[in-house]
Amino acid sequence: MKQNETLRTPNTQGRFKVGDRVQVRDMPNMFYTRTQNYVRGVTGTIAACTYKDLIPEDEAFNYDGRLEQYYIVRFRQKDLWGEYPFGNDTLQTEFPDHWLEPVSN
Amino acid sequence: MSTAYKHSHAGDGHDHKAAPMVEEITDYEVLEIAVRELAIEHGLFTAEDHRKFTEWAESIGPAAGSRLVAKAWTDPAFKARLLEDGTKACKEIGVDWAEPTGSGTPSDYTNFRVLEDTPTLHHVIVCTLCSCYPRPLLGMSPEWYRSTNYRRRLVRWPREVLAEFGLILPPEVEIRIEDSNQKCRFMVFPVRPEGTENWTEEQLAAIVTRDCMIGVALPRPGRTADVHPVHEARRPVHSAPLHGKAAE
Repeated sequence: MKQNETLRTPNTQGRFKVGDRVQVRDMPNMFYTRTQNYVRGVTGTIAACTYKDLIPEDEAFNYDGRLEQYYIVRFRQKDLWGEYPFGNDTLQTEFPDHWLEPVSN
Repeated sequence: MSTAYKHSHAGDGHDHKAAPMVEEITDYEVLEIAVRELAIEHGLFTAEDHRKFTEWAESIGPAAGSRLVAKAWTDPAFKARLLEDGTKACKEIGVDWAEPTGSGTPSDYTNFRVLEDTPTLHHVIVCTLCSCYPRPLLGMSPEWYRSTNYRRRLVRWPREVLAEFGLILPPEVEIRIEDSNQKCRFMVFPVRPEGTENWTEEQLAAIVTRDCMIGVALPRPGRTADVHPVHEARRPVHSAPLHGKAAE
Protein backbone atom coordinates (compact mmCIF):
# COMPACT_ATOMS: atom_id res chain seq x y z
CA MET A 1 0.00 0.00 0.00
CA LYS A 2 1.54 3.32 -1.05
CA GLN A 3 1.85 6.47 1.00
CA ASN A 4 -1.02 8.14 -0.87
CA GLU A 5 -3.36 5.20 -0.44
CA THR A 6 -5.63 3.71 2.19
CA LEU A 7 -7.42 0.40 2.23
CA ARG A 8 -10.33 2.18 0.60
CA THR A 9 -8.29 3.23 -2.43
CA PRO A 10 -9.54 1.26 -5.43
CA ASN A 11 -7.16 -1.55 -6.14
CA THR A 12 -8.05 -3.12 -9.44
CA GLN A 13 -4.42 -3.58 -10.43
CA GLY A 14 -3.28 -6.70 -8.65
CA ARG A 15 0.10 -6.40 -7.04
CA PHE A 16 1.19 -10.00 -7.53
CA LYS A 17 1.95 -12.50 -10.25
CA VAL A 18 2.31 -16.29 -10.29
CA GLY A 19 5.39 -17.35 -8.35
CA ASP A 20 5.52 -14.36 -6.00
CA ARG A 21 6.01 -15.08 -2.32
CA VAL A 22 3.28 -13.56 -0.16
CA GLN A 23 2.33 -13.56 3.48
CA VAL A 24 -1.28 -13.57 4.68
CA ARG A 25 -2.05 -10.51 6.79
CA ASP A 26 -3.62 -10.96 10.16
CA MET A 27 -6.11 -8.13 10.11
CA PRO A 28 -9.04 -7.73 12.46
CA ASN A 29 -12.27 -8.63 10.67
CA MET A 30 -15.54 -7.32 11.95
CA PHE A 31 -18.43 -9.77 11.58
CA TYR A 32 -17.36 -11.41 8.34
CA THR A 33 -14.36 -12.57 6.38
CA ARG A 34 -13.40 -15.46 4.16
CA THR A 35 -9.76 -15.45 5.24
CA GLN A 36 -9.30 -18.42 7.47
CA ASN A 37 -7.57 -18.27 10.86
CA TYR A 38 -5.23 -21.10 10.04
CA VAL A 39 -3.45 -19.18 7.27
CA ARG A 40 -2.95 -15.88 9.10
CA GLY A 41 0.71 -14.87 9.16
CA VAL A 42 1.79 -17.77 6.96
CA THR A 43 3.90 -17.28 3.82
CA GLY A 44 3.03 -19.01 0.57
CA THR A 45 3.41 -18.69 -3.19
CA ILE A 46 0.99 -17.29 -5.75
CA ALA A 47 -0.26 -20.30 -7.72
CA ALA A 48 -2.81 -18.53 -9.94
CA CYS A 49 -4.46 -15.19 -10.62
CA THR A 50 -8.15 -15.93 -10.81
CA TYR A 51 -10.53 -12.99 -11.29
CA LYS A 52 -11.39 -9.50 -10.07
CA ASP A 53 -14.41 -9.11 -7.85
CA LEU A 54 -15.78 -7.38 -4.81
CA ILE A 55 -14.06 -8.34 -1.59
CA PRO A 56 -16.13 -10.63 0.67
CA GLU A 57 -16.10 -8.12 3.51
CA ASP A 58 -17.94 -5.62 1.31
CA GLU A 59 -20.13 -8.00 -0.62
CA ALA A 60 -21.53 -9.64 2.50
CA PHE A 61 -23.01 -6.32 3.55
CA ASN A 62 -24.21 -5.37 0.09
CA TYR A 63 -21.69 -2.58 -0.23
CA ASP A 64 -20.59 -1.70 -3.69
CA GLY A 65 -16.94 -1.20 -3.49
CA ARG A 66 -13.54 -1.91 -4.67
CA LEU A 67 -12.89 -4.72 -7.05
CA GLU A 68 -9.73 -6.59 -6.22
CA GLN A 69 -7.61 -9.17 -7.95
CA TYR A 70 -8.02 -12.60 -6.37
CA TYR A 71 -5.23 -15.15 -6.12
CA ILE A 72 -4.86 -18.79 -5.24
CA VAL A 73 -1.96 -19.08 -2.81
CA ARG A 74 -0.15 -22.35 -2.16
CA PHE A 75 1.34 -23.18 1.24
CA ARG A 76 3.49 -26.01 2.48
CA GLN A 77 1.56 -28.02 5.07
CA LYS A 78 4.72 -27.94 7.20
CA ASP A 79 4.42 -24.14 7.33
CA LEU A 80 0.76 -24.23 8.28
CA TRP A 81 0.96 -26.80 11.03
CA GLY A 82 3.74 -27.42 13.51
CA GLU A 83 5.04 -31.01 13.45
CA TYR A 84 3.33 -31.90 10.17
CA PRO A 85 5.24 -35.02 9.14
CA PHE A 86 4.96 -35.15 5.33
CA GLY A 87 7.31 -32.73 3.60
CA ASN A 88 5.70 -32.79 0.18
CA ASP A 89 2.13 -31.95 1.14
CA THR A 90 0.61 -28.57 0.29
CA LEU A 91 -2.60 -26.66 0.62
CA GLN A 92 -3.96 -23.89 -1.52
CA THR A 93 -6.72 -21.40 -0.95
CA GLU A 94 -7.83 -18.06 -2.30
CA PHE A 95 -7.53 -14.42 -1.20
CA PRO A 96 -8.29 -10.97 -2.54
CA ASP A 97 -5.27 -8.71 -3.00
CA HIS A 98 -5.49 -6.69 0.21
CA TRP A 99 -5.13 -9.76 2.42
CA LEU A 100 -1.63 -10.41 1.11
CA GLU A 101 1.72 -8.74 1.73
CA PRO A 102 4.75 -9.14 -0.51
CA VAL A 103 7.64 -11.07 0.98
CA SER A 104 11.17 -10.83 -0.35
CA ASN A 105 12.86 -14.20 -0.71
CA MET B 1 -52.30 -45.07 22.00
CA SER B 2 -51.09 -47.62 19.48
CA THR B 3 -47.70 -49.14 20.04
CA ALA B 4 -45.09 -48.74 17.39
CA TYR B 5 -43.96 -52.34 17.76
CA LYS B 6 -46.14 -55.30 18.54
CA HIS B 7 -43.90 -58.27 19.27
CA SER B 8 -42.96 -59.45 22.73
CA HIS B 9 -39.50 -59.31 24.21
CA ALA B 10 -39.62 -62.67 25.87
CA GLY B 11 -36.11 -64.06 25.81
CA ASP B 12 -34.76 -62.24 22.79
CA GLY B 13 -32.29 -60.18 24.82
CA HIS B 14 -31.94 -57.17 22.54
CA ASP B 15 -33.25 -53.65 22.66
CA HIS B 16 -35.74 -51.95 20.33
CA LYS B 17 -36.34 -48.28 19.79
CA ALA B 18 -39.94 -47.38 19.09
CA ALA B 19 -40.46 -45.74 15.70
CA PRO B 20 -41.35 -42.08 16.14
CA MET B 21 -45.06 -41.31 15.94
CA VAL B 22 -44.43 -38.05 14.11
CA GLU B 23 -41.69 -37.25 11.63
CA GLU B 24 -39.26 -34.88 13.21
CA ILE B 25 -38.33 -31.62 11.59
CA THR B 26 -35.15 -29.72 12.31
CA ASP B 27 -34.84 -26.07 13.25
CA TYR B 28 -33.14 -25.38 9.93
CA GLU B 29 -36.03 -26.85 7.97
CA VAL B 30 -38.44 -24.64 9.87
CA LEU B 31 -36.20 -21.66 9.13
CA GLU B 32 -36.04 -22.50 5.44
CA ILE B 33 -39.81 -22.73 5.17
CA ALA B 34 -40.23 -19.41 6.98
CA VAL B 35 -37.68 -17.59 4.83
CA ARG B 36 -39.06 -19.10 1.65
CA GLU B 37 -42.63 -18.07 2.50
CA LEU B 38 -41.49 -14.55 3.31
CA ALA B 39 -39.57 -14.33 0.07
CA ILE B 40 -42.59 -15.47 -1.92
CA GLU B 41 -44.80 -13.03 -0.03
CA HIS B 42 -42.39 -10.20 -0.87
CA GLY B 43 -42.23 -11.16 -4.50
CA LEU B 44 -38.55 -12.15 -4.61
CA PHE B 45 -39.54 -15.29 -6.48
CA THR B 46 -42.67 -17.33 -7.00
CA ALA B 47 -43.52 -20.71 -5.55
CA GLU B 48 -43.29 -22.06 -9.07
CA ASP B 49 -39.73 -20.69 -9.44
CA HIS B 50 -38.81 -22.39 -6.20
CA ARG B 51 -40.33 -25.71 -7.22
CA LYS B 52 -38.53 -25.70 -10.58
CA PHE B 53 -35.21 -24.89 -8.96
CA THR B 54 -35.64 -27.51 -6.24
CA GLU B 55 -36.52 -30.18 -8.79
CA TRP B 56 -33.47 -29.33 -10.81
CA ALA B 57 -31.15 -29.22 -7.79
CA GLU B 58 -32.41 -32.57 -6.52
CA SER B 59 -32.27 -34.23 -9.93
CA ILE B 60 -28.67 -33.60 -10.84
CA GLY B 61 -25.98 -36.04 -9.84
CA PRO B 62 -22.33 -36.43 -10.73
CA ALA B 63 -22.98 -37.69 -14.27
CA ALA B 64 -21.89 -34.46 -15.95
CA GLY B 65 -18.62 -34.47 -14.04
CA SER B 66 -17.95 -38.08 -14.99
CA ARG B 67 -18.59 -37.25 -18.65
CA LEU B 68 -16.27 -34.28 -18.45
CA VAL B 69 -13.40 -36.40 -17.15
CA ALA B 70 -14.05 -39.24 -19.61
CA LYS B 71 -14.10 -36.81 -22.53
CA ALA B 72 -10.86 -35.17 -21.41
CA TRP B 73 -9.21 -38.58 -21.00
CA THR B 74 -10.03 -39.53 -24.58
CA ASP B 75 -9.66 -36.15 -26.35
CA PRO B 76 -6.34 -34.35 -25.65
CA ALA B 77 -7.49 -31.15 -27.40
CA PHE B 78 -10.56 -31.01 -25.15
CA LYS B 79 -8.38 -31.66 -22.13
CA ALA B 80 -6.21 -28.70 -23.09
CA ARG B 81 -9.30 -26.47 -23.42
CA LEU B 82 -10.57 -27.75 -20.05
CA LEU B 83 -7.33 -26.88 -18.29
CA GLU B 84 -7.22 -23.48 -20.00
CA ASP B 85 -10.78 -22.39 -19.16
CA GLY B 86 -12.89 -24.78 -17.13
CA THR B 87 -16.10 -22.76 -17.17
CA LYS B 88 -16.07 -22.48 -20.96
CA ALA B 89 -15.20 -26.16 -21.50
CA CYS B 90 -18.21 -27.22 -19.43
CA LYS B 91 -20.49 -25.74 -22.08
CA GLU B 92 -19.19 -28.37 -24.50
CA ILE B 93 -20.79 -31.05 -22.33
CA GLY B 94 -23.98 -29.11 -21.82
CA VAL B 95 -23.33 -27.42 -18.48
CA ASP B 96 -23.58 -23.65 -18.45
CA TRP B 97 -22.38 -22.29 -15.10
CA ALA B 98 -24.00 -18.95 -15.83
CA GLU B 99 -27.41 -20.55 -16.34
CA PRO B 100 -27.19 -23.96 -14.70
CA THR B 101 -30.93 -24.54 -14.47
CA GLY B 102 -31.61 -23.27 -17.93
CA SER B 103 -34.33 -21.19 -16.36
CA GLY B 104 -32.54 -17.97 -15.69
CA THR B 105 -31.15 -18.45 -12.21
CA PRO B 106 -27.44 -17.87 -12.64
CA SER B 107 -25.07 -18.89 -9.95
CA ASP B 108 -22.78 -16.22 -8.66
CA TYR B 109 -19.91 -18.68 -8.53
CA THR B 110 -18.95 -19.23 -12.10
CA ASN B 111 -15.20 -19.65 -12.03
CA PHE B 112 -14.72 -23.37 -12.47
CA ARG B 113 -11.31 -25.02 -12.47
CA VAL B 114 -10.18 -28.61 -12.65
CA LEU B 115 -7.29 -29.75 -10.51
CA GLU B 116 -5.15 -32.09 -12.57
CA ASP B 117 -3.70 -35.04 -10.70
CA THR B 118 -0.43 -36.66 -11.75
CA PRO B 119 1.21 -39.85 -10.47
CA THR B 120 3.06 -37.68 -7.90
CA LEU B 121 0.36 -35.11 -7.11
CA HIS B 122 -3.06 -35.87 -5.67
CA HIS B 123 -5.67 -33.19 -5.05
CA VAL B 124 -8.53 -33.28 -2.57
CA ILE B 125 -11.19 -30.61 -2.15
CA VAL B 126 -12.85 -29.15 0.91
CA CYS B 127 -14.59 -25.96 1.92
CA THR B 128 -13.60 -25.26 5.51
CA LEU B 129 -15.82 -22.19 5.76
CA CYS B 130 -19.06 -23.80 4.62
CA SER B 131 -19.44 -26.53 1.99
CA CYS B 132 -18.87 -24.99 -1.43
CA TYR B 133 -19.18 -27.66 -4.09
CA PRO B 134 -19.35 -27.72 -7.92
CA ARG B 135 -23.07 -28.50 -7.98
CA PRO B 136 -23.75 -27.93 -11.69
CA LEU B 137 -21.35 -30.81 -12.39
CA LEU B 138 -21.63 -33.06 -9.37
CA GLY B 139 -25.12 -32.45 -8.03
CA MET B 140 -25.75 -32.17 -4.32
CA SER B 141 -22.80 -32.71 -2.01
CA PRO B 142 -22.77 -35.79 0.21
CA GLU B 143 -23.57 -35.29 3.91
CA TRP B 144 -20.05 -36.08 5.02
CA TYR B 145 -18.61 -33.32 2.82
CA ARG B 146 -20.68 -30.75 4.73
CA SER B 147 -19.81 -32.12 8.16
CA THR B 148 -17.53 -30.19 10.49
CA ASN B 149 -15.73 -33.49 10.97
CA TYR B 150 -14.54 -33.50 7.35
CA ARG B 151 -14.10 -29.76 6.97
CA ARG B 152 -11.96 -29.26 10.04
CA ARG B 153 -9.94 -32.43 9.91
CA LEU B 154 -9.07 -32.71 6.22
CA VAL B 155 -6.84 -29.63 6.15
CA ARG B 156 -4.94 -30.66 9.28
CA TRP B 157 -4.75 -34.45 8.91
CA PRO B 158 -5.41 -35.15 5.23
CA ARG B 159 -3.73 -38.53 5.14
CA GLU B 160 -5.62 -39.79 8.18
CA VAL B 161 -8.95 -38.61 6.78
CA LEU B 162 -8.24 -40.11 3.36
CA ALA B 163 -7.27 -43.38 5.04
CA GLU B 164 -10.73 -43.42 6.63
CA PHE B 165 -12.11 -43.37 3.10
CA GLY B 166 -9.81 -46.26 2.26
CA LEU B 167 -7.30 -44.13 0.30
CA ILE B 168 -3.67 -44.40 1.40
CA LEU B 169 -0.98 -42.73 -0.68
CA PRO B 170 2.79 -43.04 -0.29
CA PRO B 171 4.59 -40.12 1.38
CA GLU B 172 6.39 -39.20 -1.84
CA VAL B 173 3.06 -38.33 -3.47
CA GLU B 174 2.22 -34.69 -2.80
CA ILE B 175 -1.25 -34.32 -1.36
CA ARG B 176 -2.55 -30.88 -2.26
CA ILE B 177 -5.68 -29.74 -0.48
CA GLU B 178 -7.83 -27.15 -2.18
CA ASP B 179 -9.81 -25.11 0.33
CA SER B 180 -12.44 -23.52 -1.90
CA ASN B 181 -13.17 -20.43 0.15
CA GLN B 182 -14.05 -17.92 -2.55
CA LYS B 183 -15.82 -17.98 -5.90
CA CYS B 184 -13.76 -20.58 -7.67
CA ARG B 185 -15.34 -24.00 -7.82
CA PHE B 186 -13.14 -27.05 -8.24
CA MET B 187 -13.18 -30.65 -9.31
CA VAL B 188 -10.38 -33.18 -9.25
CA PHE B 189 -9.28 -34.43 -12.65
CA PRO B 190 -7.91 -37.87 -11.77
CA VAL B 191 -5.15 -39.79 -13.49
CA ARG B 192 -6.58 -42.26 -15.99
CA PRO B 193 -5.99 -45.68 -14.41
CA GLU B 194 -4.16 -48.63 -15.91
CA GLY B 195 -6.26 -51.28 -17.61
CA THR B 196 -8.58 -48.86 -19.42
CA GLU B 197 -6.88 -48.85 -22.81
CA ASN B 198 -9.36 -48.63 -25.70
CA TRP B 199 -12.31 -48.06 -23.35
CA THR B 200 -15.21 -45.99 -24.65
CA GLU B 201 -16.11 -42.70 -23.00
CA GLU B 202 -19.14 -44.41 -21.47
CA GLN B 203 -17.02 -47.13 -19.88
CA LEU B 204 -14.60 -44.55 -18.55
CA ALA B 205 -17.35 -42.32 -17.17
CA ALA B 206 -18.72 -45.29 -15.20
CA ILE B 207 -15.56 -45.53 -13.08
CA VAL B 208 -15.28 -41.78 -12.45
CA THR B 209 -17.46 -41.56 -9.36
CA ARG B 210 -18.29 -38.56 -7.23
CA ASP B 211 -15.68 -39.51 -4.61
CA CYS B 212 -12.99 -39.57 -7.34
CA MET B 213 -13.89 -36.02 -8.35
CA ILE B 214 -13.76 -34.76 -4.77
CA GLY B 215 -10.44 -36.52 -4.30
CA VAL B 216 -11.21 -39.09 -1.59
CA ALA B 217 -10.99 -42.03 -3.99
CA LEU B 218 -9.01 -43.07 -7.05
CA PRO B 219 -10.78 -44.43 -10.13
CA ARG B 220 -9.99 -47.96 -11.22
CA PRO B 221 -11.56 -50.62 -13.45
CA GLY B 222 -14.44 -52.37 -11.70
CA ARG B 223 -15.02 -49.61 -9.19
CA THR B 224 -18.33 -48.05 -10.24
CA ALA B 225 -19.77 -47.02 -6.88
CA ASP B 226 -18.68 -45.03 -3.83
CA VAL B 227 -18.80 -47.38 -0.87
CA HIS B 228 -17.29 -46.26 2.41
CA PRO B 229 -15.83 -48.59 5.03
CA VAL B 230 -18.17 -48.61 8.00
CA HIS B 231 -16.44 -47.91 11.29
CA GLU B 232 -18.30 -49.32 14.24
CA ALA B 233 -18.92 -46.80 16.98
CA ARG B 234 -16.68 -47.60 19.91
CA ARG B 235 -19.02 -46.36 22.60
CA PRO B 236 -22.41 -46.20 20.98
CA VAL B 237 -25.00 -44.15 22.78
CA HIS B 238 -28.46 -45.65 22.94
CA SER B 239 -31.44 -43.48 23.80
CA ALA B 240 -33.40 -44.59 26.84
CA PRO B 241 -36.22 -46.81 25.53
CA LEU B 242 -39.81 -45.65 25.96
CA HIS B 243 -40.98 -48.48 28.15
CA GLY B 244 -38.74 -48.00 31.15
CA LYS B 245 -36.21 -50.74 30.55
CA ALA B 246 -32.79 -49.87 31.91
CA ALA B 247 -30.51 -48.40 29.28
CA GLU B 248 -27.55 -50.61 28.41
